[in-house]
Amino acid sequence: MRKTLREPALVLTLVVVVGLLGFFVIYPQLRVVLVPGLAGYVEFFREQTWVKPLLHSLQITVLSTTTAVTLGFVYAYAMVYSDMPWKHFFRLVGILPLLSPPFVVAASYILLFGPRGVISYRLLGQSPNVLGLGGLWGVQTIAFFPFAYQLIADVLSRSDPSLEQAARNLGAGAWAVFRTVTLPLSRPGLAAATLMTAIYVMEDFGNPALIGGQFTVLPTQAYGLISGFGDLAGAAAVSTMLTVLALLLYIGRMRLEGSRSYVTIAGRASAMPRPPVPRQVTWACFSICLLLSLVLLLVYGVLLVSALVQAFPSNVAFTLRHFDYVRAQALSLRNTLVYGGTAAIICGLFTVLLGYLVQRREWTGRRVVDVVALLPAAIPGIFFGIGYASAFNQRWLDWLDRGALITISMIFWNIPIGYQAAVVGLQQIDRSIDEAAISLGASSLRSFRDILFPMLHSALLVGIVTTFVRAVTTLSVVIFLFTPGTTVATITIFQLINDFNWGGATAFTVAVIGMAVAVLVVIWVISGRRATVQTMASG
Amino acid sequence: MPTQSANTCSRRYFLRLAASGVGAALVGRRGMASAASGKISVYSALNESTNNAFVEAFKKSVPGINVELLPLAAAGELQTRIRTEKDSPKGDVFIGGSSEFHSPLGTEGLLLPYKSPNAANVEPVYKDADGMWTGWYLGIFGFVLNTDRFAKELKDSKKPTSWDDLLNAAWKGHLTLPDPVKTGGGYIYIATQIFRFATEAMASSPSADQYAAAENKAMDYMKKLHANIGQYTGTAPQAIQLVGQGQFIGAPNWSHDILTAKGQGQPIDNLNPQPTGFEVGAVSIIKGGPNPDGAKAFIDWVLTKEAGVLNVKLSNRLSVLKDVAPAPGAPTLDSVQLVPYDRPWATNNKTRILKKWQAAIS
Repeated sequence: MRKTLREPALVLTLVVVVGLLGFFVIYPQLRVVLVPGLAGYVEFFREQTWVKPLLHSLQITVLSTTTAVTLGFVYAYAMVYSDMPWKHFFRLVGILPLLSPPFVVAASYILLFGPRGVISYRLLGQSPNVLGLGGLWGVQTIAFFPFAYQLIADVLSRSDPSLEQAARNLGAGAWAVFRTVTLPLSRPGLAAATLMTAIYVMEDFGNPALIGGQFTVLPTQAYGLISGFGDLAGAAAVSTMLTVLALLLYIGRMRLEGSRSYVTIAGRASAMPRPPVPRQVTWACFSICLLLSLVLLLVYGVLLVSALVQAFPSNVAFTLRHFDYVRAQALSLRNTLVYGGTAAIICGLFTVLLGYLVQRREWTGRRVVDVVALLPAAIPGIFFGIGYASAFNQRWLDWLDRGALITISMIFWNIPIGYQAAVVGLQQIDRSIDEAAISLGASSLRSFRDILFPMLHSALLVGIVTTFVRAVTTLSVVIFLFTPGTTVATITIFQLINDFNWGGATAFTVAVIGMAVAVLVVIWVISGRRATVQTMASG
Repeated sequence: MPTQSANTCSRRYFLRLAASGVGAALVGRRGMASAASGKISVYSALNESTNNAFVEAFKKSVPGINVELLPLAAAGELQTRIRTEKDSPKGDVFIGGSSEFHSPLGTEGLLLPYKSPNAANVEPVYKDADGMWTGWYLGIFGFVLNTDRFAKELKDSKKPTSWDDLLNAAWKGHLTLPDPVKTGGGYIYIATQIFRFATEAMASSPSADQYAAAENKAMDYMKKLHANIGQYTGTAPQAIQLVGQGQFIGAPNWSHDILTAKGQGQPIDNLNPQPTGFEVGAVSIIKGGPNPDGAKAFIDWVLTKEAGVLNVKLSNRLSVLKDVAPAPGAPTLDSVQLVPYDRPWATNNKTRILKKWQAAIS
């Protein structure tokens, strides 16, 4: 602490960063938490309408997190370790599930796999009851594996191959190396991935609302209270409950991770290649990735087809008329690009800095900040938006541009993933590296900028990419903030869906996805010039 | 301080409007518009396909007032938004959504009471006594039928004409219903059953006690219906969507939405089992908004026959004005028998009834 105080620039940075978190995360959330009042909370707990949704939430969180993290790990392992073909394609597939609003994708799943689905009924003659626990589990597994995949791939790609080579040279078989070296070293990534996935599953609203059927979870209950009955107090109480659950998960993770060291970068980076993965494993990896890609291509294929025909599935005559909506609503598409892009860059940089301050510097309260940086993930988007609307829609803030406020909300709502990536990355880098720079006379901030920041390149990329994709596809955060001039693409899609205009909604979705994929390709091409072959896999 | 000035403001305008109301009666509604000008911000829960044409017609009819429209076809979200913005209201008018979404805002003091001279043509049951909100359209709860699948798979059954017909075993697994816990429409469906069963008893001695027996009958009904329901949906429009895709054959839902979806080319039809429930679509003025004058002129226009006719055409809803003809194929107050829907009771007993329903079907 005393050492920190000796550096005014560092202290100033700390104050600014903590101040921003307080103002843009804690303060708006307090506005939401305080809505029900003490009497409201007493009433809420006495009525016990939350018991069933709570049990459902816990059940689906355990199920979906387990499968999503397992799938994420396999995917990450396949991308980083195996030399399977089509890696560039699979890299895009690994981000695709995050790329479109759940309320469109869920409808696509039902068209394919519903009681009269194109595949389930017309192809297989089955009439499954897809809405409910089973369907939700499947959809969430695919929807949330990208978070796990990104965090784990980032960790795996930074782990030092020389440890594995050493194990192989000492006579360990491929399986033994995986079990005793690879798996233990990926533990910080696995822990972070499990925590993040669990929290995102728990706060997920879109999928349970459209696929969950009668399987009510906490976020759908909260949303129903607002949209069906205008009961803000009850809904806010549910939101508070979700936040508490997330804190419990955080504590659980701390215990899981323990105080071990996961340092694998201890001086100079190793240029050694990884020990080859057995052929069968490579092909198994390839098959799994291919199968997953196939499902996703079907789901997104339905969107594309729906956008190009009169009325899918009853009238499949070709038309381009649905794309008229894209031209008519070009403003919302442009806004989405500008807000999402700005938020992604700022959020990526901010989270890496935040990760450094918490993971590397000693100061009172850093544990609290560690929790605060996780909190936005636990808050269902709708309450994040409500918090922002009530906290910042004030007379003294009326000068603030609404577009800027929407961008800020996107930045702070998406802090958790980038932050986790940065912290996990720093856990792998030996402290002696930056300490050496400091002993040689560099300031803390200089050692961060010149030494650690370049090494955290892939973590930064994780932050930027996920923030961009989530900002582009969020509806709930923006729904209370947008104005006629600052409307975004998801609002337009929402309006078209509620108008039963499935063709227009899918045409717009296709335009958003196309735009986002173009941006991602540009990001990857730019970063690819700087990245090493290893980090290619992550991001 | 700002509230106070708004109050003074509104009182002054009330007087002025009272005066101009007399004038309006003489010169017609265009005379009203001269009192207001500038820009108004309208929070609209109307369908996307209604919004633009509706606003354009207003601008043509009342020149001098520009409209900035915030479209969000979700009244609950707009209601919440008005609450969260109360420290610095940005909207002038809240239009669309049933009166259930407007009246709590009035109770909380977030609306500006206004009795438009044109509201004289609206029956008292369709408007707030204090002028917090005014009803201007009616939505009737109907039934969406997938005509293709019905003709193929249920050709021996008759099309439902009362809600009891849905209990027929032929419907097993083919029905879907908006989840009453998550959607306003689903809850209105349960309440409709209660008021339906209460109707006879109420005729002899009207008192809230009559609801208790009716409530049990309604729960019994919902329990039997549950056996036929393949799925409860998370939103009301989703049920129409699923029936349109043919995933299910039928679903109780809003008639006007069913007709809108039908207009998009889906193989569906609207039926009206009766007696049935309905909603009163409202319009209200947000207190402290930037342009209360403009808002009043807007409400005056919404209550004209011209706006009523246009809304019927665009949204298939029913106007509260008797001289506005209903949309072709749409149910009317003459063609459909409505239950005596007791809105305050339905709102106050919501939590209890939903819990009872959950217990009944599990």
